This record gives sequence, structure tokens and C-alpha cells, in this order.
Amino acid sequence: METIHLKKNIEPELTLGQWFRNVYEAIKSTAIGLSITFKYVWGKDVVTIEYPEVREELPSNSRSRLFNDAENCISCLQCAVSCPVDCIYIAAVKRPTDAPKMKTKDGTPIRLDLKQYTIDTALCCYCGLCTTVCPTECLTHTTDYEYASYTLASMKYDYLAPDIRAWRTRIVKS
Amino acid sequence: MSGGHHEENAEEKILLGDMEVLKSDLLTLNMGPQHPATHGVLRVEIKTDSEIVVEAIPHIGYLHRCFEKHAENLDYRGVIPFVDRMDYLGAMNMEWGYALTIEKMLGTEVPKRAEYIRILVAELQRIASHLLFFGTYAIDLGAFTPFLYAFQDREQILRIFEELSGARLLYNYIWIGGVWNDINDSQLARVKTFCDEFELNLKKYHDLVGHNKIFIGRTANVGILTPEQCYDYGATGPVLRGSGVKWDLRRKKPYGLYEKFDFDVPVGTGVKGTVGDCWDRYEVRVLEMFESIKIIRQVLEGIEEGPVMGKVPKIIKVPAGEIYLKTECPRGELGYHLISDGGKTPYRLKIKSSCFTHVSMLPEMAPGQMVADLVATIGSIDIVLGEVDR
Amino acid sequence: MHNQIASTLNSKVPGANAQALIATIGDSSVLVEAGKILDVCKILKSEGFNVLQVITGTDYADRIEVTYSLADFTSNREVLIKVKLSRGDGNGNNKETLPKLDSVSSLWRAAHFQERETYDMIGVNFIGNPDLRRILCPDDWTGYPLRKDYVVQEKYLDMVVNPAHKVNTEDHMFGKKLKEQIGDPKKVSASWKDSSGGNADEEAKDGE
Repeated sequence: METIHLKKNIEPELTLGQWFRNVYEAIKSTAIGLSITFKYVWGKDVVTIEYPEVREELPSNSRSRLFNDAENCISCLQCAVSCPVDCIYIAAVKRPTDAPKMKTKDGTPIRLDLKQYTIDTALCCYCGLCTTVCPTECLTHTTDYEYASYTLASMKYDYLAPDIRAWRTRIVKS
Repeated sequence: MSGGHHEENAEEKILLGDMEVLKSDLLTLNMGPQHPATHGVLRVEIKTDSEIVVEAIPHIGYLHRCFEKHAENLDYRGVIPFVDRMDYLGAMNMEWGYALTIEKMLGTEVPKRAEYIRILVAELQRIASHLLFFGTYAIDLGAFTPFLYAFQDREQILRIFEELSGARLLYNYIWIGGVWNDINDSQLARVKTFCDEFELNLKKYHDLVGHNKIFIGRTANVGILTPEQCYDYGATGPVLRGSGVKWDLRRKKPYGLYEKFDFDVPVGTGVKGTVGDCWDRYEVRVLEMFESIKIIRQVLEGIEEGPVMGKVPKIIKVPAGEIYLKTECPRGELGYHLISDGGKTPYRLKIKSSCFTHVSMLPEMAPGQMVADLVATIGSIDIVLGEVDR
Repeated sequence: MHNQIASTLNSKVPGANAQALIATIGDSSVLVEAGKILDVCKILKSEGFNVLQVITGTDYADRIEVTYSLADFTSNREVLIKVKLSRGDGNGNNKETLPKLDSVSSLWRAAHFQERETYDMIGVNFIGNPDLRRILCPDDWTGYPLRKDYVVQEKYLDMVVNPAHKVNTEDHMFGKKLKEQIGDPKKVSASWKDSSGGNADEEAKDGE
């Protein structure tokens, strides 16, 4: 094996004057650093938030937990198509022609009965592509961010189930 | 093996007589995959002779998430969340490069306001990314406070991004044809106040860390790269500029509206040691932050009213052909090599990542260094393993 | 520029057979003979292309194309050099059955890692690369993932890939079951056809 040598820095010889200059520079730079540090110790307010006691309000367009307002959904499947990780499962059946006419909040006629609307939030990458293509704006990102859970199965949100629909009042700001 | 650097020492040889010089063997050290100084899951196999590194072999792939394969099965819009996740500290720049590639193939015209917003967010992202480098590099070298200072200012940027795009890290904000949301005046005012405050802070931080005697002692004359080595390995970005090469794509191949802007390209000067050492790479990044502030100020002056989204077909079909387009990201040049067959998905999307290139330079830089200097070297090339492994 | 490069290559490298592929959309490239790539790159390096930016391998049905993106950082030029290779057999883990190409890592050391990546992902055997190992995938991986005919392994080191209990069959199959229940598949629109595929495009048209 060939020998390896430490790459030596080409440094000028240490004269007495250089030695004192080194000491001076070291003290000076440390003093500058310490003065900045002490300014922060006494001159600045605390910037951290003590989380469980103080909760931060997220901006209104923050992309957090998804919520689908199933009454306004026209089952167009656009969210499922645009989803890059394919975590949205939708199934719908054509409404019989003699059934009473239904309309969404903004007046789009509903022609399909939604039978399944499930989002596997454990797979979701919170990119927001599904909410931007939604024509009736029923699928939205809410600002609710505290929903960690113990099992993967509980991360699957069936938006037709009553217990999950009950979140609406809590997490959706209209 | 006849013992390394002892051999030269004539005196020692006389003392030992005919006996072979003290037998020593190379010690193999594994730095990583879980190591705070490798900034992610990089494993460097180091062979050391006492305290001196003889060989360093980087092992990568621990964060490989098959983005190139994924891209082949996704529509063009759906790729954007994935390119975000490559360099998660410079997500805006990643998106911009991708959007530019597709726009150039489609011939889409991007509205002026969107162009300004893109530059604004890209430069803010550059500051955020360099701030993280500044903080973590100081931690690598044993200074903890600068990290907290850097994160305070980075937090301001992330807040602005959060209001703008809705996410703090992976924005999906720059879309093909424009940007997602418009920026309002109060946000612009916040950017302005941030710039004013941050400029003062940054000077302070640079004094605190950059001119500190210990920091200079740890970084000057360490991990020197010559321009020839940089060309040989294809290094770009602050690593190339740190070696004194004035190469910045924002100047050399202007994209967006960069032509109109007035800013300097800082290069390493070797003020504290040799040109191309760790200190130079550090300084280039700090000076780039000042330049970014300059650019942001010009954006705030020049931003025009108007739409933020150009005309893009609902289903994007890129015409058959290929393109290699590169943009200047915080860590170096990011290139997208897109090969399209005219379908709804990319046929092949090869991503040239600068961090990948820079990791490949470790075997060149490491031999002959102390182990502690290797930490300084890895820190100074500022790699993000998400981009290395893609 | 590409025509000029092609003619220079043809005059300096016998048998290079360089052709400029001029594109109206996107970037043009220069196609050269695969066997001459090392000589071609030597000439190009002496012409001033001092940086190898990226090596892209692309798998087509009948061939593999390897594209070298070279740049000249002193006079700010770029060129794409392309070679065509046969596909070889990329199913196993055998380097000998792969298409062979001369390594350019003696000219640019950037090629070392780039070639390793191309070998790992597309399966091209670069002759002369000092350390041609897999780089992103584990060493004992079989197959070359970015080939179009790559099939995901069923097992890797006794670990089952995509085990049944982790696949969300219940939700994937919901639409299919619904179709069976209703009896008329035209009346049902679902985002997942069956458990194997995620192709929702056709279904989406029904829904609109």
C-alpha cells in the first residue's frame, strides 16, 4: 500500500508578532460572538411556542386534513384522477331518472349517487392537487392538524360515515 | 503494510533497526447512515490510518424513492409533488426547474406577474436553504447557537410560504404555466420587512461564525478543490463558485426574468486560506444570501399586476422530443432531461442532481485529511440526501 | 452547431457515423456509433467540452439509448451525444448479458457515478468503469428498474413485496363489487377498476 500523508497546510512560520496577532484575533472574534449572544439572551423576546398550551392558528389556505362535503360531491372522479398517489377511492351509481332532482350548493345538478368516498390519509401527500380540480369545491383542505392516530386503519377516512361527517362543524370553516 | 507516515522518519527507523516499522493496519470506520454530520442517510466508509483518512467511499441509495420511475406513470402535473420531495430544502427551485422544462416544450407563455413571483419565492427559498446550511454547518463544527438564530429567520420565510402556498416545506406552488396563488400586498410588505431585518441579522451572523477564529481554523485550507477538479467531476453551484469560477446559470443562461436583475455572482477568493477551501464555500453561500436580498428588493419594486396563470391545456400532452434544461438551485445546477413520446406522461425524466455529483467528489477530497476535517468537508458541500438518491 | 460537430466528428473519428438530429421542439442531439463513443468523447473534450453533466439511459421497445450531456463551461455551449444499443437481457443480475458500452470515466471522473447509476437503473455494462456496482439499489437486487418491461420482484430477501394484508383490497374492490350488485356496469363509475391497476382515466370519462 502506498503511504498516505497528511495534507499539510502551507502556513507561514509563526513569528512572535503573528503569535500575538493570533491571540488578539481570537479574543476579538470571541468577544464579538459573545456580545451577539448576550444581546439575544436579554434583548430578544422568546420566539418559541409552548405547543400543547399555546396552539398556533394556521393560515386559512393551509393544506392539512382533507374533508369532503359529501352532499356537494357530484362524483366526477377528477380528484381521484389527479391524485399522484392514488389514495382516493370513489364509487357512485347513476341516479334513476325518476328520482327527485338534487343540486349542490352552487347549483350543479347531482346525477350520481355517491356510494363510496374514502381517502387513505396515510398515503396522502398533501399536495393539494385534488382540491384545486374539484368543480364544486366540496373537497377542501382544512386547517386541522392534530390527527395522529395509532393504527393505519384509523387513517382511512370514509366521508360517508356519520362519525367522520360529524367533524364538519369542528374543522371546516365556512 | 509498512507503517504509513512513520516510514519517512529516519530517526525512528534507526531506533527500530532492522525490525519492521511498527505494524499498523487500516481501520475501517462507518460514518453513517445514521450520523448527524452526514445530513441524512449517507454512509461513508472511511479507511483510516490513525487519524488520517486514507480512503472514503460514499454509499448512497438509502433514500431512493424511485421518482424517475414514478414520473413515468404520472401525468405532468402530478410530477410536481414528487420533484418537491427531492431537495426538500429547496422545493421551490426544484418545481421551477421542472415547470420551465415543460413550459419550454409546450411553448407556454408565463404571465409577467407569475415570473416575478417565481423569482421572489425562488430567492427566498435560496435564503432559507443557505440559512439551513449556515446553521447545520456551525453545528457540524461544534457551535450550536448559530443554528437557532438561522432557524428563527428561516421560520419567517416558511411562514410567508405557508400563507402563500399552504405548506411549509413541500409547496407544490409553482405550476406549469404560472404559480398557484397570487401574492397580496400585505405579504409583499412582510417580505420587505423580512429583507430589512434579515440583512442586519445576516451581517451579525457572519461576524459571529464566519470571522470566528476557531471556525476559520476548522475550515480554512481544508477540503481544497481546484477549478480543474470541479470541471472533472462536474461540480456546480456554490462548490464551483467557491473554487473561484464565476459560473452562475442565472447569469450565464438566464431563465425567467433574471436578465433584468442586477446582482453579483460571489466567488471564493481564498481570503482566509486557499481558494476553494471550506471557508470559501461557506462565504460564497453567505454572500449569495445578500445577493438574494438584492434580487428580492428589485422584485418588490418591479412586480406588475396581472394574472398569475398562463394558458395551459387541461390535459397536458408534451410534443414528442427531448430537452435538457438546467436551473440554478441553492445547491448547484439541477437538470431535467425530459424525453417525451407525445403522451400524457413523461416517457423518461432523468434528473441531474448537483448533490449526487458532489457526493461523488468525496473520494477525491477526503484522502489525507483528518477525520474531523472530513466532517467539515461533507458539511461544506451541503448535500441533501433526498436529492442525491431521488 | 450540431451539424458542425457531426462533421468534425466524422472527419476525426473514422467510423463514428455521426448524424445531427435537429429537433424543432426541444434540444437537438448528435447520434454516433456506440462502439466509437470513447473516441468521440476524446475529440469533444479536446474541442473544449470540459464538463460531463449527465448520462441518461432510456429504454425503448427495441433499443436502449444512452445520452451524454456535455457542456463547455468556458465558452458556454452544450451538446447532447446519443448512442443506440441493443437491449440485451435485463432480467437477471448478469453483467455479461447486458449491452456493452465503453466507459468515459477516464475522460471525466463525473462519468464514474453517472455510469454506475445508468448501470443500476437501465442495465448498461460500461466497460472500463473502475467500480461498476449498483449505486441506488442494493447490491443483490435483480432486474433494472427503469426498463419498461421491469417487473416488481415478488420477494426480496425473504420479504414479500406488497404483502396481501397491506393492500387495501376492500376499498380497491368496492367499485367492482358495486357493479356486480347493481348488475349494469354502465351505471357505476368508480375510481379503481380492480385491485391490480390504478388506471382511472376511462372511468373518469364515464363520470363526467
